[in-house]
Amino acid sequence: MSTKQLQLKIVTPEKLILEELVDQVTVPTTEGEITILPDHIPLIASLASGDIVAFKDGEHIPMEVVGGFVETKKENDMTSVIILADFAEHVANISEAEIAKAKAKAEELRKQAENNEIVDFEHFESELERSLNRIKIADKWRTRKYRK
Amino acid sequence: MASTKEIKRRIKSTKSTKKITKAMELVAASKMKKAISQTLASRLYSTYSWDILTSLSERLENITHKFFTENTNTNKHLIVLITSNRGLCGGYNSQIIKKAIAMIKEESKSAEPISIDIVTVGKKGDGAMRRTGQNIVASFLEMPENVSLQDVIPISNYFADEFKKENYNRIYIAYTDFVSALSQKPVIRKLLPISKVELKEVVELNIKEKAPDSRASMDGARHDFAKSETPYLLEGETEKLLDTLAEKLVRMQIYQMFLESSASEQSSRMVAMKNANEAAEEMINDLTLVFNKARQSNITKEISEISAGMASVS
Repeated sequence: MSTKQLQLKIVTPEKLILEELVDQVTVPTTEGEITILPDHIPLIASLASGDIVAFKDGEHIPMEVVGGFVETKKENDMTSVIILADFAEHVANISEAEIAKAKAKAEELRKQAENNEIVDFEHFESELERSLNRIKIADKWRTRKYRK
Repeated sequence: MASTKEIKRRIKSTKSTKKITKAMELVAASKMKKAISQTLASRLYSTYSWDILTSLSERLENITHKFFTENTNTNKHLIVLITSNRGLCGGYNSQIIKKAIAMIKEESKSAEPISIDIVTVGKKGDGAMRRTGQNIVASFLEMPENVSLQDVIPISNYFADEFKKENYNRIYIAYTDFVSALSQKPVIRKLLPISKVELKEVVELNIKEKAPDSRASMDGARHDFAKSETPYLLEGETEKLLDTLAEKLVRMQIYQMFLESSASEQSSRMVAMKNANEAAEEMINDLTLVFNKARQSNITKEISEISAGMASVS
């Protein structure tokens, strides 16, 4: 494995979620999943919801993410990947109890969707997307090994 | 002179009021701290999104996106007024309401009268605008005290939609800028169309004013980067990217303004409660003095009555 690494930063409007040197990172863009390695050319893409998987020392670092952007650039011979996400969270933070809660929430939201009198549609839509995404990502990583 | 019983009652009620104001002060102080730290945390995001916008716009000779151009089909303006849901916070609400009303008056005086619609956030501003008979098109009254980005989404999408539909020429936002715990400034700022110069000002102002040292290193790095003018590979359509980015930026701005407002609200409530506390303290002191005097004179009276009685007996 090459010694070159890239600087990964995951930022949401609420806080800086992750800042770390990693070997590679896979992000879900709206055009499909891409993997960024060190010395990647500068790139801007918008994100789809899914999981960002960073790879470091042979271990996966999975993060759940909903919407946003990814920017890759080079600074002083160091490739940095900046991810601006609407929501992001380490998979380990999604505990079993939280999954159950998210599931209940998704179900509740779906029921509400049938009720046409929802005024707060936009809010509701993003909530639903987030809940569903959490469930999906948590399920995906349940049996796999990753670094906390 | 009031009876000692009367005075005692007043002291007691002042004391219990003081307890309440003290508690409110402490609560406001902790809420303010939270709001400030939230503002700081959101700054990184806005800096980076500004970064991306700059690199994107370098590639496009002229941005024709709707968010960046004024609608010429209409001359209606929209003002968003951010106030609190609760009172007891000093001049916080009245200041921003006054400023908004002054602006509305000024606009209506100009040669070409512009019709202005209002969107209110918070009960206080809503009430004031209804009393003065403004045209309120939407009121968001259910904002939680610690705003999260999710709470802002419906509001920002509403503006984006209205603006895209060309219903409004410009959208302004009236909020209270948090300068320090002791001073807050009511500000009216243009939200849409995005002018690159203004947006840059907002972002840079934020960085300079509120985090002088922590962002310095990052700033330096950014400047170098801007000079090198790296050609970016854009995944997907540029227009689409710009569209999402612009929407996010608007949302971000609104979010930040909400945070600023809530920090201002809490700090002005804190100051108001502190003043109330001090006033209560003073009042208790005065009343205690009056009470003691009354007690003293009562005792004197009793003694003189007893001695007068003794004198008459002997």
